[in-house]
Amino acid sequence: MAWLEPLRALWRRLLAWDLLPTPGPEGARRDGPVERPWRYYWDHLPKRTAGADFSARDYQEARQRAEEVARSTLGDDLWQRLMMDGYLDVPSHRYAGISYRLTIGHRIRVICAPGARSPWPYEYLCINPTYPLPELEFFAHLYLYARDREDTLVRVAAPQPWDQRLGRTF
Amino acid sequence: MGRIIVANRRGHQLVEWDAETDTEEARESVLEAERILREARDKGCAVSKRVGTQHVLDDGVFDPYAEEYQIIAPIAGG
Repeated sequence: MAWLEPLRALWRRLLAWDLLPTPGPEGARRDGPVERPWRYYWDHLPKRTAGADFSARDYQEARQRAEEVARSTLGDDLWQRLMMDGYLDVPSHRYAGISYRLTIGHRIRVICAPGARSPWPYEYLCINPTYPLPELEFFAHLYLYARDREDTLVRVAAPQPWDQRLGRTF
Repeated sequence: MGRIIVANRRGHQLVEWDAETDTEEARESVLEAERILREARDKGCAVSKRVGTQHVLDDGVFDPYAEEYQIIAPIAGG
Protein backbone atom coordinates (compact mmCIF):
# COMPACT_ATOMS: atom_id res chain seq x y z
CA MET A 1 0.00 0.00 0.00
CA ALA A 2 1.65 3.14 -1.25
CA TRP A 3 0.04 5.41 1.34
CA LEU A 4 1.92 3.53 4.11
CA GLU A 5 5.34 4.23 2.65
CA PRO A 6 5.75 7.73 4.14
CA LEU A 7 4.85 6.29 7.57
CA ARG A 8 7.38 3.50 7.15
CA ALA A 9 10.05 6.00 6.15
CA LEU A 10 9.29 8.11 9.23
CA TRP A 11 9.51 5.01 11.46
CA ARG A 12 12.90 4.07 9.97
CA ARG A 13 14.18 7.58 10.67
CA LEU A 14 12.96 7.42 14.27
CA LEU A 15 14.70 4.08 14.80
CA ALA A 16 17.90 5.47 13.34
CA TRP A 17 17.94 8.24 15.94
CA ASP A 18 19.85 7.59 19.10
CA LEU A 19 16.89 8.33 21.34
CA LEU A 20 18.31 6.30 24.21
CA PRO A 21 21.92 6.36 25.43
CA THR A 22 24.02 3.57 23.97
CA PRO A 23 25.85 1.23 26.36
CA GLY A 24 29.62 1.56 26.11
CA PRO A 25 30.87 -1.82 24.93
CA GLU A 26 28.16 -2.05 22.27
CA GLY A 27 28.73 1.49 21.03
CA ALA A 28 32.50 1.18 21.05
CA ARG A 29 32.28 -1.74 18.64
CA ARG A 30 30.65 0.57 16.11
CA ASP A 31 33.47 3.10 16.33
CA GLY A 32 35.87 1.17 14.14
CA PRO A 33 39.60 1.12 14.88
CA VAL A 34 39.53 3.88 17.52
CA GLU A 35 37.00 3.64 20.35
CA ARG A 36 35.46 6.96 21.42
CA PRO A 37 34.15 6.19 24.92
CA TRP A 38 32.77 9.68 25.57
CA ARG A 39 29.89 8.89 23.21
CA TYR A 40 28.43 6.16 25.43
CA TYR A 41 27.36 5.40 28.99
CA TRP A 42 29.31 2.95 31.13
CA ASP A 43 27.62 3.13 34.53
CA HIS A 44 26.03 -0.31 34.13
CA LEU A 45 29.39 -2.13 34.12
CA PRO A 46 30.52 -3.93 37.28
CA LYS A 47 33.25 -2.10 39.18
CA ARG A 48 36.80 -2.36 37.84
CA THR A 49 35.76 -3.97 34.58
CA ALA A 50 35.81 -2.81 30.96
CA GLY A 51 32.91 -4.78 29.53
CA ALA A 52 31.90 -8.38 28.96
CA ASP A 53 33.58 -8.33 25.55
CA PHE A 54 36.99 -7.74 27.18
CA SER A 55 39.27 -10.79 27.48
CA ALA A 56 42.11 -11.37 29.96
CA ARG A 57 44.48 -10.56 27.13
CA ASP A 58 42.65 -7.29 26.41
CA TYR A 59 43.15 -6.26 30.05
CA GLN A 60 46.82 -7.19 29.92
CA GLU A 61 47.45 -5.28 26.70
CA ALA A 62 45.49 -2.26 27.93
CA ARG A 63 47.59 -2.09 31.11
CA GLN A 64 50.81 -2.33 29.11
CA ARG A 65 49.76 0.49 26.79
CA ALA A 66 48.67 2.53 29.80
CA GLU A 67 52.12 2.33 31.33
CA GLU A 68 53.72 3.61 28.13
CA VAL A 69 51.42 6.57 27.84
CA ALA A 70 51.44 7.44 31.56
CA ARG A 71 55.22 7.58 31.51
CA SER A 72 55.20 9.73 28.40
CA THR A 73 52.50 12.04 29.80
CA LEU A 74 54.25 12.61 33.12
CA GLY A 75 57.78 12.82 31.78
CA ASP A 76 60.77 10.83 33.06
CA ASP A 77 61.43 12.83 36.24
CA LEU A 78 57.89 12.47 37.62
CA TRP A 79 57.74 8.86 36.49
CA GLN A 80 60.93 8.01 38.39
CA ARG A 81 59.59 9.77 41.48
CA LEU A 82 56.33 7.84 41.23
CA MET A 83 58.18 4.54 40.92
CA MET A 84 60.43 5.38 43.89
CA ASP A 85 57.79 6.78 46.27
CA GLY A 86 54.63 5.07 45.05
CA TYR A 87 52.76 8.38 44.89
CA LEU A 88 53.01 11.96 43.62
CA ASP A 89 52.17 15.02 45.67
CA VAL A 90 50.67 17.98 43.81
CA PRO A 91 50.59 21.25 45.78
CA SER A 92 47.27 23.11 45.70
CA HIS A 93 47.27 26.56 44.11
CA ARG A 94 43.93 27.29 45.73
CA TYR A 95 44.38 26.28 49.37
CA ALA A 96 47.54 27.27 51.22
CA GLY A 97 49.41 24.36 52.79
CA ILE A 98 47.32 21.70 51.05
CA SER A 99 48.68 19.02 48.70
CA TYR A 100 46.96 16.26 46.80
CA ARG A 101 48.65 12.86 47.20
CA LEU A 102 47.93 10.75 44.13
CA THR A 103 48.37 6.98 44.32
CA ILE A 104 47.75 4.64 41.39
CA GLY A 105 44.19 3.29 41.37
CA HIS A 106 43.22 4.88 44.70
CA ARG A 107 41.44 7.90 46.09
CA ILE A 108 43.32 11.19 46.46
CA ARG A 109 44.63 11.84 49.95
CA VAL A 110 44.50 15.46 51.14
CA ILE A 111 47.78 16.34 52.88
CA CYS A 112 47.84 19.34 55.21
CA ALA A 113 51.08 21.14 56.11
CA PRO A 114 51.46 22.03 59.83
CA GLY A 115 48.90 24.73 60.65
CA ALA A 116 46.96 24.30 57.41
CA ARG A 117 43.30 23.30 57.51
CA SER A 118 41.64 21.10 54.90
CA PRO A 119 38.55 22.55 53.21
CA TRP A 120 37.01 19.07 53.22
CA PRO A 121 35.49 17.19 56.15
CA TYR A 122 37.32 13.97 55.24
CA GLU A 123 40.86 13.02 54.33
CA TYR A 124 40.20 11.33 50.98
CA LEU A 125 38.68 12.54 47.72
CA CYS A 126 37.04 10.03 45.42
CA ILE A 127 37.28 10.89 41.73
CA ASN A 128 36.71 8.48 38.86
CA PRO A 129 36.85 8.75 35.08
CA THR A 130 33.40 8.64 33.50
CA TYR A 131 34.44 5.62 31.42
CA PRO A 132 36.68 2.65 32.21
CA LEU A 133 40.42 3.19 31.97
CA PRO A 134 43.50 1.31 33.13
CA GLU A 135 44.67 2.62 36.50
CA LEU A 136 47.94 4.06 35.22
CA GLU A 137 46.28 5.85 32.33
CA PHE A 138 43.84 7.52 34.72
CA PHE A 139 46.60 8.29 37.20
CA ALA A 140 48.26 10.48 34.55
CA HIS A 141 44.93 12.16 33.79
CA LEU A 142 44.30 12.86 37.45
CA TYR A 143 47.77 14.34 37.79
CA LEU A 144 47.02 16.76 34.94
CA TYR A 145 43.70 17.76 36.51
CA ALA A 146 45.33 18.31 39.92
CA ARG A 147 48.14 20.39 38.47
CA ASP A 148 46.36 22.27 35.66
CA ARG A 149 42.60 22.17 36.48
CA GLU A 150 42.32 22.22 40.23
CA ASP A 151 38.94 23.98 40.03
CA THR A 152 37.47 21.00 38.17
CA LEU A 153 38.96 18.58 40.65
CA VAL A 154 37.56 20.56 43.59
CA ARG A 155 34.12 20.82 41.95
CA VAL A 156 33.65 17.09 41.37
CA ALA A 157 35.55 15.59 44.34
CA ALA A 158 33.53 13.43 46.72
CA PRO A 159 35.13 13.56 50.21
CA GLN A 160 35.37 10.17 51.89
CA PRO A 161 36.61 9.08 55.34
CA TRP A 162 38.75 6.19 54.10
CA ASP A 163 40.85 5.08 51.17
CA GLN A 164 39.57 2.58 48.64
CA ARG A 165 40.37 1.44 45.11
CA LEU A 166 38.60 3.39 42.40
CA GLY A 167 35.59 1.73 40.81
CA ARG A 168 35.92 2.88 37.22
CA THR A 169 39.56 1.87 36.68
CA PHE A 170 41.05 -1.59 36.34
CA MET B 1 53.23 13.64 11.60
CA GLY B 2 51.11 14.60 14.59
CA ARG B 3 49.12 12.23 16.73
CA ILE B 4 46.25 12.13 19.19
CA ILE B 5 46.43 9.66 22.03
CA VAL B 6 42.84 8.62 22.60
CA ALA B 7 42.72 7.25 26.14
CA ASN B 8 40.12 4.52 26.36
CA ARG B 9 39.63 1.07 27.88
CA ARG B 10 42.19 -0.28 25.38
CA GLY B 11 44.82 1.72 27.23
CA HIS B 12 44.95 4.15 24.36
CA GLN B 13 44.67 4.20 20.62
CA LEU B 14 46.28 6.59 18.16
CA VAL B 15 44.91 8.93 15.53
CA GLU B 16 47.61 10.37 13.30
CA TRP B 17 47.59 13.26 10.90
CA ASP B 18 50.00 14.74 8.42
CA ALA B 19 50.15 18.50 8.02
CA GLU B 20 53.33 18.45 5.95
CA THR B 21 52.06 16.64 2.87
CA ASP B 22 49.83 18.32 0.30
CA THR B 23 47.51 15.49 -0.69
CA GLU B 24 43.79 14.99 -0.30
CA GLU B 25 44.39 12.14 2.14
CA ALA B 26 46.72 14.23 4.30
CA ARG B 27 44.28 17.15 4.36
CA GLU B 28 41.49 14.80 5.37
CA SER B 29 43.66 13.38 8.20
CA VAL B 30 44.10 16.92 9.59
CA LEU B 31 40.36 17.58 9.43
CA GLU B 32 39.57 14.25 11.09
CA ALA B 33 42.02 14.95 13.93
CA GLU B 34 40.42 18.35 14.48
CA ARG B 35 36.93 16.79 14.45
CA ILE B 36 37.88 14.19 17.07
CA LEU B 37 39.31 16.80 19.44
CA ARG B 38 36.24 19.02 19.02
CA GLU B 39 33.84 16.13 19.59
CA ALA B 40 35.69 14.99 22.72
CA ARG B 41 35.72 18.52 24.16
CA ASP B 42 32.02 18.92 23.38
CA LYS B 43 31.38 15.75 25.40
CA GLY B 44 33.26 17.01 28.44
CA CYS B 45 36.74 15.62 27.87
CA ALA B 46 39.83 17.71 28.47
CA VAL B 47 42.68 17.84 26.00
CA SER B 48 46.38 17.90 26.79
CA LYS B 49 49.20 18.90 24.49
CA ARG B 50 52.81 17.82 24.63
CA VAL B 51 55.03 20.69 25.69
CA GLY B 52 58.68 19.70 25.92
CA THR B 53 58.95 16.45 27.84
CA GLN B 54 55.47 16.36 29.36
CA HIS B 55 51.79 17.07 28.73
CA VAL B 56 49.81 20.11 29.87
CA LEU B 57 46.05 20.62 29.68
CA ASP B 58 45.24 22.87 26.77
CA ASP B 59 42.18 24.89 25.72
CA GLY B 60 43.66 26.27 22.52
CA VAL B 61 42.46 25.70 19.00
CA PHE B 62 43.78 22.66 17.17
CA ASP B 63 47.33 23.20 15.96
CA PRO B 64 48.04 20.95 12.97
CA TYR B 65 51.77 21.36 13.59
CA ALA B 66 51.56 20.15 17.21
CA GLU B 67 53.48 17.00 17.97
CA GLU B 68 50.95 15.27 20.19
CA TYR B 69 47.59 15.75 21.82
CA GLN B 70 45.87 13.50 24.30
CA ILE B 71 42.17 13.17 25.08
CA ILE B 72 41.68 13.19 28.84
CA ALA B 73 38.67 11.47 30.36
CA PRO B 74 36.01 13.60 32.07
CA ILE B 75 35.99 13.07 35.83
CA ALA B 76 33.18 12.57 38.33
CA GLY B 77 33.06 12.27 42.09
CA GLY B 78 32.24 9.03 43.87
